[in-house]
Amino acid sequence: MSKRTLMIVGAAAAAAALALTACSGGAGGGDASGGDGGDAAFELDFSSLATTTPAGTAPVDTVTWNLPYEPLSLDPMFTYNYAENTVISNLCESLMRLTPELEIENGLAESVENPDERTVVYTLRSDATFWDGSPVSADDVVYSLGRQVGADSASYYADYFSSVESVEKTGDREVTVRLTEPDALFEQAMSSAAGAIVQQAAAEAAGERFGTPQGGLMCSGPFSLAGWDPGKNLRLEKNADYWDAELVPLVENLDFTFIADESTAINSLRSGDSDGQFFYLPPAGLTQIEGSDAEIVFGESFTMWTMRATSTEGPFSKPEVRAALLAAIDRQAIGDVVFQGAAAPAPVLTGPAYFGTGPQAALFQEAFDGFSTEPDIEKAQEMLAEAGDVSGKIVLGVQGSSAVHEQTANLIQAAGEAIGLDIETQVIPVEQFGNLYFDETAREGLDGFFTTYYGDFADPLSVYVALAPEGTGNFTGYDAAGDDIAEARRTLDPEARAEHTIAAQEKITRDLPWVPFNFMPVIMVQNSDISGAVPSSAYLSYPWAATIGGVE
Amino acid sequence: MSIPSFLLRRTGGLLLVLVVTSFIVFGLMYLAPGSPLSFVLGPRGGTPEQIARVTEQYHLDDPLFVRYFAWLGDVFRGDLGDSIVYRQPVLDLLSGRIGTTAALIAYATILIAIVGVGLGLLASLRGGWVDQLVTTVATLGLATPTFVIGVALISLFAVGTGWFPTNGSGGGGLDTIWHLTLPAVALAVASAAYLARITRASVLEEEGREHVQTAVARGLRAPLVIRRHVLRNALIPITTVMGLTIATLIAGAVVVETVFALDGLGSLLVRAILQRDFAVVQAVVLVLVVTFVIINAIVDFLYTLIDPRIKLGSTQ
Repeated sequence: MSKRTLMIVGAAAAAAALALTACSGGAGGGDASGGDGGDAAFELDFSSLATTTPAGTAPVDTVTWNLPYEPLSLDPMFTYNYAENTVISNLCESLMRLTPELEIENGLAESVENPDERTVVYTLRSDATFWDGSPVSADDVVYSLGRQVGADSASYYADYFSSVESVEKTGDREVTVRLTEPDALFEQAMSSAAGAIVQQAAAEAAGERFGTPQGGLMCSGPFSLAGWDPGKNLRLEKNADYWDAELVPLVENLDFTFIADESTAINSLRSGDSDGQFFYLPPAGLTQIEGSDAEIVFGESFTMWTMRATSTEGPFSKPEVRAALLAAIDRQAIGDVVFQGAAAPAPVLTGPAYFGTGPQAALFQEAFDGFSTEPDIEKAQEMLAEAGDVSGKIVLGVQGSSAVHEQTANLIQAAGEAIGLDIETQVIPVEQFGNLYFDETAREGLDGFFTTYYGDFADPLSVYVALAPEGTGNFTGYDAAGDDIAEARRTLDPEARAEHTIAAQEKITRDLPWVPFNFMPVIMVQNSDISGAVPSSAYLSYPWAATIGGVE
Repeated sequence: MSIPSFLLRRTGGLLLVLVVTSFIVFGLMYLAPGSPLSFVLGPRGGTPEQIARVTEQYHLDDPLFVRYFAWLGDVFRGDLGDSIVYRQPVLDLLSGRIGTTAALIAYATILIAIVGVGLGLLASLRGGWVDQLVTTVATLGLATPTFVIGVALISLFAVGTGWFPTNGSGGGGLDTIWHLTLPAVALAVASAAYLARITRASVLEEEGREHVQTAVARGLRAPLVIRRHVLRNALIPITTVMGLTIATLIAGAVVVETVFALDGLGSLLVRAILQRDFAVVQAVVLVLVVTFVIINAIVDFLYTLIDPRIKLGSTQ
């Protein structure tokens, strides 16, 4: 099916969904609206998404895994995107480790202690070595963390190091991190690529070229980098000496290809040329996988589908207008139509995957249950009436050559029309879409843009922190939740932190500087000859390929 | 004109063209909005300090002429610079891809020459229903978009029968030929169809000429007439079109490279333009300009072989 017909189908479904909501609204509400998933390709149970696949048991010579694009760098501090982290998670280890179940356990650190609220002491494992056989030393840890500290650090993870005062070697296998104030995010972030340890000697020798095809890489993970042929492929090799016997790979060679074209990627999976791929947006031809030698697994996920507000003027800069528009949108329909059923309506930005397992989980669940995603046209119109003058265009940025972006925009235009908002879209090429995140001039003339987003660990704060006044996702100078976010970040007790985070969530969900649409599972496709790849969001920081084996 | 002076003149012209195009391309890139910053700062953007530092490091705020002449100076020292996006030398980015694109275009060119000229001859010399059939097929081939042909080929011969791989450029030698077969066919279809029509038209035109009629009237055998009198003259337009075709193939390759996930020069160029990766765009444009000029020179040289009356370097 071409994109165009899909768009028409999407628009038709939107109209139908709207008509239904309008009807049920007119009848005094109460009935569920039309989104019963009847026309969706996939039926998912979002309360039990996969975190593992059955372990493969046979050795495998080569697994070919596809990436949606070629990584720009493999230096961990420059990996903050799908393709890069898919590769690096098998190569470089962090102090802590995010498990497939999205919990945090010890990684290269065998113990972590907090003598006080502003001090973290890491004791390193004695048996971890880099691929060249040299031990992972305290000096390497000091180097790997230290290079990310300070305002002029080039690290993509600078956010997580904002309160780091010093990183020092305080023993043979001991590193002490001092913070300027208590920071609940820093310790958790050490389970992501932010806490990845690289070899100081190799990094310094390669300089600017570290993590490129010319500069190579030196880490301690279960796979080593065997080769990188720019434009063609990336090759990883099994590291037989890996310290964790549980995760010594059965796969000898892990090859990554760079097929960007969705239909070619799907065909490659169907024919068996590719053994697997993670999709962060459902490709149009996903249903074609069914009936081939590959299977689709939907994994537990941190990823959500959202829209960010970017303007401080015009109708869309008013919280009431954003809230009215959201009330008019059928988020269930977006999931069914745009995501082929592979997305759940999101009442807030952070869903159950972020709640964790501690005592805070119940608090988050309770707050979560207090929100609804039911569309309500009447309420939308009431809110709009309160907003005053709402004339003028609302322009939304849509990523080029993305069916999901286009179809969501269609649904939202239809919803806007239904309540009297004039919404237009502006297509931005995928290569330039990234500019929207930091370049004010790129956002000129836009009132919002669509984007997927994911936090790095199971704490809603890892997402909401982007909406602090200085946050990387705060484009409108939004400051209503600033104090709550700052307070939450300073609070180390999970339950007390949850209280502050929930307070921030209340305000953000009311004012909508960042609009939640859907929770998206990880979509993993795996050839039936192999099994064991990790399908949860942990694949971005856990060695997801180390558990792959042949099916006997 | 002798061959050395012909080469000298062409080389001089090439250098002039290179300087002019490189400046125009540089200027256009400079004037276009957007920057490669997002690829240096990461998907979540950067702090104001980070943005300032990177802008300084890559001279993104320097005036146009300062940046252009800095680049030009580097090129004269043999340094094509670094890709901002990929943090690696442009030369490394190119070297891996030139081979793929060159192999793809050479393969497609051979297919175009054989199939295009072959079908054109078949249609013009046989006439009748064969002519009709070839003309229809050629029209279809010309009208079908390249990516449609590519996707169809993958469905039929890669996923359906499993004879060919769905993507990639293989590991060299026969493996690469096997990998590049479907992409080369997809790339060749439209041009082969065009060349078939050109061949047919020029052969028919030559057949109607007086000297050919005379040769036939003198009772010369048909194969001889066709070889000596028809084909030789028809080769001039055919060669011209072949030369132009190779040039357009470089542009057409972008689509094929995308469909078959071959990372060649075409896709690299398109991506680099969108990413505002100055050094990469400049380097690829230089390679393309040099290729165009060399192909042009070869075509001019071939004319003199085909028709001795044409002098090397003449402007006819």
